[in-house]
Amino acid sequence: MKKNLLPLFVLFALTSVYAADQTWVLKQSTLTYHVSHPLHQTDGVSHAARGKGVCHDGQCDFLIAVPVKSFDSGDSNRDLHMLQVTRGAEYPMVQVRTRLPESAEGSSTIKADLDVQFAGQTAHFQQVPLEVKTEGKEKHITGTIPATLADFKIEPPSLLTMPVKNEIPVKVDMTWSPQ
Amino acid sequence: MKSTAMKFAVGAVLVFVLQISFLNAQDGSASHQTPSVTVAQEEPAKTASASSDNLPDAPGLQAQAQSQTQSQNQNQNQNQSQNQSQDQTQKESAPSLGDLGFSKAEEQGNARQQALLDKRTHMLKIHQRMGLITTIPMIASVVTSLNAGGRSEGTVSRDLHVAIGALTGDLYGITAYYAIRAPKIEGTETRGPIKFHKIMAWIHGPGMIATPILGAIAFSQKNNGERVHGIAQAHGPVAIVTAGAFGAALLSVSLKF
Repeated sequence: MKKNLLPLFVLFALTSVYAADQTWVLKQSTLTYHVSHPLHQTDGVSHAARGKGVCHDGQCDFLIAVPVKSFDSGDSNRDLHMLQVTRGAEYPMVQVRTRLPESAEGSSTIKADLDVQFAGQTAHFQQVPLEVKTEGKEKHITGTIPATLADFKIEPPSLLTMPVKNEIPVKVDMTWSPQ
Repeated sequence: MKSTAMKFAVGAVLVFVLQISFLNAQDGSASHQTPSVTVAQEEPAKTASASSDNLPDAPGLQAQAQSQTQSQNQNQNQNQSQNQSQDQTQKESAPSLGDLGFSKAEEQGNARQQALLDKRTHMLKIHQRMGLITTIPMIASVVTSLNAGGRSEGTVSRDLHVAIGALTGDLYGITAYYAIRAPKIEGTETRGPIKFHKIMAWIHGPGMIATPILGAIAFSQKNNGERVHGIAQAHGPVAIVTAGAFGAALLSVSLKF
């Protein structure tokens, strides 16, 4: 009986070599943008991001997307103005793509090259440091994307004739789990 | 023993066939694309000259060189197509927006909605500017009110107060127009400091209607040599409350509390 199972075992073992892809799913996220003005310091928060990562041949491709209108700064009027100035109705999704080596899974700090699509523009951020903490099977990733308004050709909004600062850093706090 | 070996052979053949068909599928899809890398070309033939050094090689050697070059080119082509197929496989395996489970309404842009937002922002910017401009004559009318009423018999300060008050009313009306007529975005809940700003409008709005009416009655009484009496006495308090609500509304969206 055991000898009859041997060819089946070999067949499954060989086919499993071609089915080694691993998939990661974004389980939980908090994305926070920060805007500075002489009279106001504002943070807009979103928990609505979704993401997926597919690992193949030692490389993992990740995509994270979040609706622009999901960011909440605590003031509905400000959020609507943000939506208008970032052309959020015309380009409703922020998309972030990156590729990481599968070997980075075991690192505590990784440096990622990010392609960010926002407000109809694509910006590239090189070597963004991200901290990785392993919590069981899950990966908790935190970091800050050093985005600016100029990167996405967004006209700086102003209040009382004073414009906001160009820098709009985005803090990311994500929990990924294998599918 | 023989049946075990047969099964093993069948399994190995099956795996081999699967592998070949997989590679063929990749080559087939890659061949539909225009290659982005140019194929290495053979060296151009040299022109003949009188020198013996430039005489062409013997036919046998030429054929050998050509077949070697052809096999090298074939190997290069195979490597390039394999790299292209690997890149394509990588791109195919990379997740897309459709994999994330967003609804089509969330993914698709809406130019009409964007135009509405643009119009709203434009009108509210004018509302903001006009509101700031209105504060100047409003403060001036409060200042000039000190000499306009009471026991004062002079009419210059009273006339000045009336003129500045009228200007305040006109600018206030323009400010209110742009706020009222700015497009509303459906499905938006009013939250935060803007809620207080809108609530204040229910105080300074009726106040800016009542103040000039009461002021006109008081002005008429004064011009008739009477003391300001009756409902006209409310002109001052109503004006102060109106100015206070207006100032609070302005500060609520300018400063962070």
